[in-house]
Amino acid sequence: MDIYGKYAPNLPLILNDVLTQIKAINEQHVQAGGAKLYEHLNGRVKTNDSMIEKCQRKQLPVTTESALRKNHDAIGIRIVSNFIDDVYKNVELLKKADWCDVVKEKDYIANAKPNGYRSYHLILMVTTPYEDYDGHRPGKYYVEIQLRTIAMDTWASLEHEMKYKHTVKNAAIISRELKHCADDLASCDVTMQTIRQLINRPD
Amino acid sequence: MRILLAEDEGQLSRVLKMAMTTNNYTVDTAANGQEAVDLAQQNPYDVMIFDIMMPVKDGIEALKELRASGNHTYTIMLTAMAETDDKVNGLDAGADDYITKPFSLKELLARLRSLERRQDNYSQSTYSLGDTTVDTSAQNLSSSNSISLSKNETQLLVFLIANAKKELSTTEILTSNWGQQAQVNAADLWIYICYLRQKLAAVKSSLQIKGAEGGPYQLIETGESNDSTPA
Repeated sequence: MDIYGKYAPNLPLILNDVLTQIKAINEQHVQAGGAKLYEHLNGRVKTNDSMIEKCQRKQLPVTTESALRKNHDAIGIRIVSNFIDDVYKNVELLKKADWCDVVKEKDYIANAKPNGYRSYHLILMVTTPYEDYDGHRPGKYYVEIQLRTIAMDTWASLEHEMKYKHTVKNAAIISRELKHCADDLASCDVTMQTIRQLINRPD
Repeated sequence: MRILLAEDEGQLSRVLKMAMTTNNYTVDTAANGQEAVDLAQQNPYDVMIFDIMMPVKDGIEALKELRASGNHTYTIMLTAMAETDDKVNGLDAGADDYITKPFSLKELLARLRSLERRQDNYSQSTYSLGDTTVDTSAQNLSSSNSISLSKNETQLLVFLIANAKKELSTTEILTSNWGQQAQVNAADLWIYICYLRQKLAAVKSSLQIKGAEGGPYQLIETGESNDSTPA
């Protein structure tokens, strides 16, 4: 079965449209004399199997409604920036964009998770030319955006490896070291941002 | 604490060792300056007590030799009451304190207790103010979040916390113990202040450093709590 039902073909199209919109925001910003807002921009549609597994894990019925309405990450985009300031600039510009509404946001940079995870999460409600689950056209779809710095992104990859390996030797020590490393990387991010502000401050 | 006692008078050495041992210190004895140097190079001591007048090598020579080799162990010299020069030479050779002979055991033991208290204070590893904690051994700053600090950032922040609310001029900070040891100038200080400001903000601390480039700088606690935005 396809949990996304007849809406499945729309998802990659929407992903592509949103990526194009984000690129356009960046191009406008650069043309106005700003620095580029991200280094990497990636997106994916959550696979059928992953979405089914997630619904089961969250004890939701395995239905198209669960996939597109109860869960918000069928379409996911990651924006990876050089500096913390750029992350917040991206958030600011996405909030101003007329093609989407921010319906939920979590600032795990200001409020890092206890394990050391840092990232800024947005759930967007995007207006699309396609029919949505409620039968409306233009239709509304959720898109999850994760924004973070390169350092935060690299850390998240490392933490992901740890999480998905079921038997880790000395797991408690590794977790402690990961947290320690997250604090070191945060120190680098904040230090680089401070230096950048010192370089660019008005005379 | 493990103590190295260098004293050539056998009777006095035995009495001192006995007294210190009963007070739960571990004591090794040397009968002359050369033995003291050899023992200090083999074992980790917390305190060294050196008599000055000793055969083979006197206490001052032994201490100079150890200091030159990089040994910084806290050292008390035993000096004769009348000899001011002994005290001066001993301190200049790198001693940290002296006791004049004849001395009472009570005084020596009180000095060792005082030293222990001081070392406890020195090794205090966390300093807190309001919602914010600095862990000096982990070099970490935490409030609702945590972040690593460099050595200089750690020490400067501890200094600012110890002197919270005071308006501190650049000169006052640079001539403090930290400023002297870190060998920083006014421009360095400004950059450390900038780093600390952003790190305090990054962990959502209620502490703030006020002051423009050049100082004076003032660490204050702002009223707002840091838990307004739930994760």
